[in-house]
Amino acid sequence: MTSVTRALTTAGSRRRRTLRSSGSKTGVAGWIGRAMVWLVVAFNIFLIAWMVVSSLRSTVDYLRQPLGLPVPPHLENYANAWTIGDFGVAFLNSASVTLISAFFAVAIAAPAAYALSRSTRWIAPKITAAFALGLGVPGQVLLIPIYIGLAQVQQNTGIPLIDSQLGLTIVLIGLNLPFTVFLLTGFFASLPGEIEEAAALDGASGIRTFVTIMLPLARPGLTTAMTLAAIGSWNETLFSLVLLTDKSTRTLPIALIQIMNSAAFNGADWGSIFAGMTLMVLPLLIVYTWLGRRIVAGMTVGAGK
Amino acid sequence: MTTSSTTLAAGGSPARGKRFPTHSPMERVRRRVFWPFVLPALAGMVIFYFAPIVFVAWLSLNKWSGFGPMRFVGTANYQQLWLDPTFTTSIVNTFKILVIVGVITFVLAFALTLVLRQMTGKHFVRSVLFFPNLINALIFAIFAGMLFNPNGLVNTALHWVGITDAPKWLAPDNQFTLIMAILIWSSTGYFTSIIMSGVDQIPPYYYEAASLDGAGPIRQFFTVTLPLSWDVVSVCAILWTMSSVKVFELILVFGGTRASSPNSQNWTTAIYVYLSAFQANAGRAFGLAAAAALVSLALVAVLTLGLRRLLRREAIEL
Repeated sequence: MTSVTRALTTAGSRRRRTLRSSGSKTGVAGWIGRAMVWLVVAFNIFLIAWMVVSSLRSTVDYLRQPLGLPVPPHLENYANAWTIGDFGVAFLNSASVTLISAFFAVAIAAPAAYALSRSTRWIAPKITAAFALGLGVPGQVLLIPIYIGLAQVQQNTGIPLIDSQLGLTIVLIGLNLPFTVFLLTGFFASLPGEIEEAAALDGASGIRTFVTIMLPLARPGLTTAMTLAAIGSWNETLFSLVLLTDKSTRTLPIALIQIMNSAAFNGADWGSIFAGMTLMVLPLLIVYTWLGRRIVAGMTVGAGK
Repeated sequence: MTTSSTTLAAGGSPARGKRFPTHSPMERVRRRVFWPFVLPALAGMVIFYFAPIVFVAWLSLNKWSGFGPMRFVGTANYQQLWLDPTFTTSIVNTFKILVIVGVITFVLAFALTLVLRQMTGKHFVRSVLFFPNLINALIFAIFAGMLFNPNGLVNTALHWVGITDAPKWLAPDNQFTLIMAILIWSSTGYFTSIIMSGVDQIPPYYYEAASLDGAGPIRQFFTVTLPLSWDVVSVCAILWTMSSVKVFELILVFGGTRASSPNSQNWTTAIYVYLSAFQANAGRAFGLAAAAALVSLALVAVLTLGLRRLLRREAIEL
């Protein structure tokens, strides 16, 4: 038995042929499956394309016929969304909140993850588990205490935290910690320890070893962690909805909710709404085409092992 | 250099020395930075996770609108929840998402894994199907309104093929079914990726042996794929439990409703907490919302532990 299987693994080309032939035996079911998969793929691509195309059509055209080409392109939808729909301010707010919170989440989580992955202390696995527990806590549990806490701190110190970018950024850094630590602990654990050993023998301090040796080695992991934290922050809605009420502080999801709310009263300017949605999705699509493999790997990493 | 470090290592404090008799230079360096490195993140965890959970537990035993002193009421908030039909609906909906959407998503994800295994362009397909998982579900909620409204894209398309009596997709009674369909569509790609990462680790010679023994693809799936990727399946179940309790954005503006008043038949626990704390007409019911929040946390905890028990098998070494 074992010798047979071993012989088969070495015969790579034969293996492939066997798999193919076993696949073609269930031709009909297989082809139906494939057809359906391609149909869903086509639907997904169509949705994105439809959103972008519709963002360039006038509301009148869209209402007359939901499918159509953007001739001539109505770029003023973007101008309207940017100014009247406040998507301009929201886009910049979202971008700054996202980038700053993702950077600091990784900056705080990376040293912790490194120390936890390397430590032999009895408490290290317990702390790692505590971070992992945070993954299961739904946002609605934390919403009210964090809101009250921010309001209290604002009252006592005068630092603006409610209805401010600062408040949301701090909250997002905190909320991103469990996943970032979890992801990076696994990543640091997979890095070899020999180089650190050499550095320690040369008398390098722990901080120096971390900054000059481990961080460059961990760059792929840090990029993944930062990207995933950024995606999470870019999409965050629940806390933003409670913490940001003023037009000047809104992020994109909140601007979108607001424009939908006012559409319920004044009739919808679909052109601007499509433009706003495109502003929300397109940056994600760009990041995804650029770093897709890492994003998928990062989001499935904990599960695959 | 080496001499000095060995002397230093030997001179470690006795308590440490007992637990860790050998201190290599690296070990010593690591031990020195442990707390400075871990504490900032740990402090963040305490401030943003552990302290809030303790506070929410306390708050759930009080009535409070955010102003003035809290009034201790014992379990009154929980009794009020129990009698509130909207809360019952929220819990039932959360369970529907957990079980119905979960099971269908899993079956589809496994079917997809089977189909994708031997398909050309499988990486492209996988990444296209994964993408909805990265998009804020607000977008899908608004899309639902655009696609399924009486003059929307779906009915326009149906009109072309001659169907003029399309169902009322967005009627209140149909909305939750549509919501579940959207959840299935948007999460299948994610779980397919996880399951595929588990299935990819199964060595091909198991399939060889199975097909030599005459097992077809279906048989191979049940005797090779499923048992050997069981760990991944149980992880997926737990991941789905965690995310099903968080469903929020999709319901909030589903079909283009106002965020302050989504259709009460669609509520989930997340929506219930948000609306009763921050949109309630009768003022902010922080205590009631806290109780609902704690119920949803208990739900995740019990289900996660239960699933771990239930799905635990002896790990099969590959």
